[in-house]
Amino acid sequence: MAKLKSFSYANAGDLLLKRGTGIGMVVILLILGLRAPLFFALSNLMDVLKQGSILTMIALGLTAVLIGGGFDMGAGALVQLTCNLSAGLIIAGLNPMLTLPMGVVVGLITGALNAFLVTIVKIPSFVATLGTMFVLQGLTTFYNKGEALTITQQPLFSFLGQGRIGIIPMIFIIVSVVAALMHYFFKHTKTGLRMYATGENPQAAALRGINTQKYLALSFCLSGAILGLTGVLQSSYIYGASAINSGMDFLIQALSAAYLGSTFSKTNELSTIGTVFSGMFIAALSNALIINGISNQQISGILGLILILSILLNVIKKREIGQVTIF
Amino acid sequence: MNESAVSGAPTRRKIWDIFSQYGSVIGMLAVLVVFQIIDNRFMRIKNIVGVLNSSTILIVMSVAIMMVMSVRGIDLSVAQVADASGVIAAMLLLAGKPFWLAILVAALFGLAVGFINCILMSYLGVPAIIGTLGMMFVVRSFELTLTNGAQPQILFTLPAKRVKEFFFIGQGSLGPIPMLIIICFIIIVIMHFVKDRSVLGRHMEAVQGNVRTAYLSSINIRKVFGATFILSSLLSAIAGIMLVSRSGNAVPRGVESYLTDCFVAVYIGGLVNKGNKFTVVGTVIGALFVGFLSNFFTLMSLGPAYKSLFNGLVIIAAVALGALQRRKKG
Repeated sequence: MAKLKSFSYANAGDLLLKRGTGIGMVVILLILGLRAPLFFALSNLMDVLKQGSILTMIALGLTAVLIGGGFDMGAGALVQLTCNLSAGLIIAGLNPMLTLPMGVVVGLITGALNAFLVTIVKIPSFVATLGTMFVLQGLTTFYNKGEALTITQQPLFSFLGQGRIGIIPMIFIIVSVVAALMHYFFKHTKTGLRMYATGENPQAAALRGINTQKYLALSFCLSGAILGLTGVLQSSYIYGASAINSGMDFLIQALSAAYLGSTFSKTNELSTIGTVFSGMFIAALSNALIINGISNQQISGILGLILILSILLNVIKKREIGQVTIF
Repeated sequence: MNESAVSGAPTRRKIWDIFSQYGSVIGMLAVLVVFQIIDNRFMRIKNIVGVLNSSTILIVMSVAIMMVMSVRGIDLSVAQVADASGVIAAMLLLAGKPFWLAILVAALFGLAVGFINCILMSYLGVPAIIGTLGMMFVVRSFELTLTNGAQPQILFTLPAKRVKEFFFIGQGSLGPIPMLIIICFIIIVIMHFVKDRSVLGRHMEAVQGNVRTAYLSSINIRKVFGATFILSSLLSAIAGIMLVSRSGNAVPRGVESYLTDCFVAVYIGGLVNKGNKFTVVGTVIGALFVGFLSNFFTLMSLGPAYKSLFNGLVIIAAVALGALQRRKKG
């Protein structure tokens, strides 16, 4: 605080706006953590990393499509589908390691379907992905017949979701690798940068000679592949697949993570690193709230508030009306 | 349609025009006829009245979400608002409050959520998908906390005298016509008037067409855009009250599945009109179609898997058709 005082008030305000998200996150967690010191235990922090990993993966998949200027209502539904598929196939006796490419392929197909609907049939991405969301949900229920699928006796496969190397959860390592690859792809390759350009301002990108439709389609496919893989990891993490339809809950958390992540940057640019930090923040927050004795029912409401607040930080300066442009 | 009516003998081209304009309605009727062939219980008067009666709730909610969508917004919180207001009304009745107070408070709750939505989306500029998705979860959380973890509020076990007036909304009838249909009809007429004949409706159309132009022609775009959210939440609250009064109990999160049906109804409804504009009449037709579809799935005892598969395919097909029609013109 003493350091802050040497700045003028305007500077302090600037700093708050620029670093506001990060400071806010740390302060919130500190307060909650001080009220329940258990939160800061090393094993608990590692648990947070583990709990947040699936969510962060979904958020990464969603970030990929948001960067390309699309939107995906069906992100959570796709994760559920591949989760159920992989659990079912493993129970049916498939080699568990083969489910990983299976998830990616199913995801790619779904992504390609979304891309087809959005770029060729020209359906706005909100509606198109809403349609595919229902289709995916239907397929999931069709496949699991409304029953939970439980995997037992698959030590190697379960290691992906539940194992640890040293004290670091394996799944967190996977997420970090995926995030690092994505970061490199989006920031240091021509294709990735063009996807950014497409999402930021399609007209300008088109004028610069970028085939925007192609890059939008690519971002749908990339996102699909990541989400498909996430589903398989989830089935490893929860030892199977639950029959409860939680696609929407996944979606809201992932969206929160992506948009909260974008508030890290001055220009509100979506980024993989920001998404990872925010995803983990959301997991940490849920964890800290539960330790503080807040019930599960209220947590989803709090997440809803966070979603609104994080996007508010983005848009408050522009103050347009919230029409849906992707619609 | 007007041209062909004026110039007498319809040529092949004109028949095609009529077909492409009313194709979606013809298609819907064709689907219903096929259903009737598959299962002849489908078109019995008793079944039809039943479907009409239960569709009224979907119609009101679909019209609600359509009002928002017609200005390029979206309201994902409609189902949750309906849910919560139903629960609130039921809880107040259980606590022994008079029926008018229960209805009033539930409606006020809808208004309040609508007001928050209005501020968020219209005055602060939160994109509607995200803002209303957030509100959906906030309202759900509120409702779950209120009912202590989704405990159903059961009204039909209360002494008949205490709930007579409240149940009249959903179960009574004026002469031969069920009360629900009367209420629904009144709402449809009012909303049609608002959308097509009122100043607000005109302004909504302007905002839908081009916000910039609307702003420059001195329309208060924030007010118009925000008003649709208030309207939609209020209508959803009414739908929630109707549902609870009809079924006699309020199960928290029980209305959530309506949200998907609303989307299907609105998008199919969009096909009914020239240029795929969202209108009240179109939405009502769409909602009725969805009502009959659900009924058919129930009659055939097909599970939720078929229902959501079908919903998804119908949405994609409806919007793809619209997109193709537009492309042909342009």
